[in-house]
Amino acid sequence: MKVWPRSLRWRLQIWYGALLGAVLAGFAATAFALARESRLRRIDEDLDRRAAALMPAVRAPPRDRPGPPHPAGTPLHEPLPPPIRRPPPSEERGAGVERFRPAPLRVEPLGPPSGLGMEAIEAMLFSGHDRDAAYFVLLSNDGTVVRASASAPALPTNAAPPAADRLIRQRGEFREHVRRLRPGHLLIVGRPIGAELAELRRFGLGLATAATLVWGTAIAVGTRIARRAIQPIEAIAATAARIAGGDLGSRIALHETDSELGSLARVLNETFDRLCEALARQRRFTADASHELRTPLAVILSQAESALARERPAADYREALDACRRAAQRLHHLVESLLTLARLDAGGGGPLNEMVPLDGVAAEALDLLRPLAAERRIEIAADLEPAVCTGRADELAQVALNLVANAIHYNRDGGRIEIATRCDGPNVRLVVKDTGIGMAPEHLPHIFERFYRADPARSRAGGRAGLGLAIAAEVVRRHGGRIDVTSELGRGSEFVVTLPAAAV
Amino acid sequence: MRVLVIEDEPDLLAGIARALRDEGYAVDTAADGEDGLFKAESWPYDLILLDVMLPGRDGWEIVRRLRERGRRVPVLMLTARDAVADRVRGLDSGADDYLTKPFALDELLARVRALIRRGADQPAPVIPLADAVLDLRARVVLRKGRPVPLTPREYALVEYLALHRGCVVSRTDLYDHLFGEDDDTLSNLLDVHVSNIRRKLGHDFIRTRRGHGYCIE
Repeated sequence: MKVWPRSLRWRLQIWYGALLGAVLAGFAATAFALARESRLRRIDEDLDRRAAALMPAVRAPPRDRPGPPHPAGTPLHEPLPPPIRRPPPSEERGAGVERFRPAPLRVEPLGPPSGLGMEAIEAMLFSGHDRDAAYFVLLSNDGTVVRASASAPALPTNAAPPAADRLIRQRGEFREHVRRLRPGHLLIVGRPIGAELAELRRFGLGLATAATLVWGTAIAVGTRIARRAIQPIEAIAATAARIAGGDLGSRIALHETDSELGSLARVLNETFDRLCEALARQRRFTADASHELRTPLAVILSQAESALARERPAADYREALDACRRAAQRLHHLVESLLTLARLDAGGGGPLNEMVPLDGVAAEALDLLRPLAAERRIEIAADLEPAVCTGRADELAQVALNLVANAIHYNRDGGRIEIATRCDGPNVRLVVKDTGIGMAPEHLPHIFERFYRADPARSRAGGRAGLGLAIAAEVVRRHGGRIDVTSELGRGSEFVVTLPAAAV
Repeated sequence: MRVLVIEDEPDLLAGIARALRDEGYAVDTAADGEDGLFKAESWPYDLILLDVMLPGRDGWEIVRRLRERGRRVPVLMLTARDAVADRVRGLDSGADDYLTKPFALDELLARVRALIRRGADQPAPVIPLADAVLDLRARVVLRKGRPVPLTPREYALVEYLALHRGCVVSRTDLYDHLFGEDDDTLSNLLDVHVSNIRRKLGHDFIRTRRGHGYCIE
């Protein structure tokens, strides 16, 4: 069975409640103990004073015998005060009840220096029969009562004589000071403290009630605070769950933006935004890729089907096959580009540690594409300075090839292409400039996106899918470089690839 | 039946046009949006096949423009985009049907037939005539259960009149719907076809309303 709750809120509550309870209990217990001690100390001081007053009277050396024993050996006895529950010892009960014996005992020879006799002191300090009155008992050696004040309660017969000379003890509801006078004699001064004890109990009860009330209130308030503190977390969890469930547009509502949770929510929202954007980009890419793949497929299918539908002259078949070949070439080119991109996305084709002469790479690309340029009477001007960088030659060759191919494709017939490589300090540069159609400024931020085409129709005719620049940008980025473009509509474009130069 | 194909991929345009011509349709072609819209507004086509991604004006805009001008010509959109949103957008902008590239040619032709039939308020694929039956699916005229040998152009003429059965169709209409922009339209070509059909199906199969046109009842 799981007793410990999983909920953070309840765990907090339990810890908080336990801690607060312990603090309150400790506080109340301390307060109660202090109050009790101070009350008892006052009583003790009072008893001390009385005992001190009594001492001279009883200290006078008695005779060897304390005097004739009480009749029938009965100890001096006072009737029990009502609150005493303990039954008196049987032999005392059996004795005749003499309520009060104005005891002209052997004490009188104890002429105290103070001049006050026992009676006087008794009358002064131990008179009164009410419950709160102080009392004294003088016990002889063998435990018999030598003398007792009127209000003295019965003593337990079996009370062993205390070992110490002075002793404070509490017997039921009586507080007593016991003093050994001479060997064998005991003076007990005491008073009932029932009223004080009851008062202390009331005080304790009040204390406990107050502590419980405070505890309960604090728990209630704490519950509210915990709930409010946890609420944003629950909202965040709910939103995350909705997003996980497919509701990608869902966002955490930001109520308090300054708290720690607010900033967490903001960070999460930004993360969600970026994830959504990446997802949308991925989706767009997939849609574009399937679009680009479908068109050549449609050509192949429709051409083949319509050619096969009936007997035709050989020229018709040739035409249909030609169309199919073109479409297949386009598919091939597209699939290659997609694979290149996928490889780059997966981290590229290998380590970037070859020494690549950028001028040589550019020259190769020019050689490859020169026939294409010649077809359209495009003039090529190359100004290739030695420029070496580190990376992969095949990937950088792809960059040069794509840029030059674009420069030819988007050029006008009889136009011009300028290619240059430069090495300036820490960087090498490849510049490809054409005199083509150029691009409007609004397209420039997007031309390195996959499948983005400033003019979809114009570029598709050449079997271009809009991946060349995306691949180039990806390769350059991977090599730690950058690719910049400036363009003027109708005048042409200039692409500048900047790469870190190889360390010599 | 005269069909306009607007498609910027030349090989695809050629393939579709050849397949449609094989079926006896008069086919006009346009390779971009401007040309396509111009032709679509200029001639009374029985169907327009429209690519969505076009240079100039895209397919959505063309179909919207046509509908704004009250053209009721059936439009079948062709596109490589198959997202639901794209299809919904195409249909909502006024297209009648939607076909995703790549498509089977047979399916394209079946959809073309269905759209033309519906455009002529002729929901059934078989039209009973006086003593013959016109089967739009097989593109034949059956007489006593046996197909009557007609050339594609002759069949197209019968089909057009049958789809407008009971109405008098003017010679201009017939020229507009049976001949594409590239066809030679000699002034008496129609008379030749009509007389050939009468020879095969009986003189009264097509009636002539002098000064008005032709009619199948």
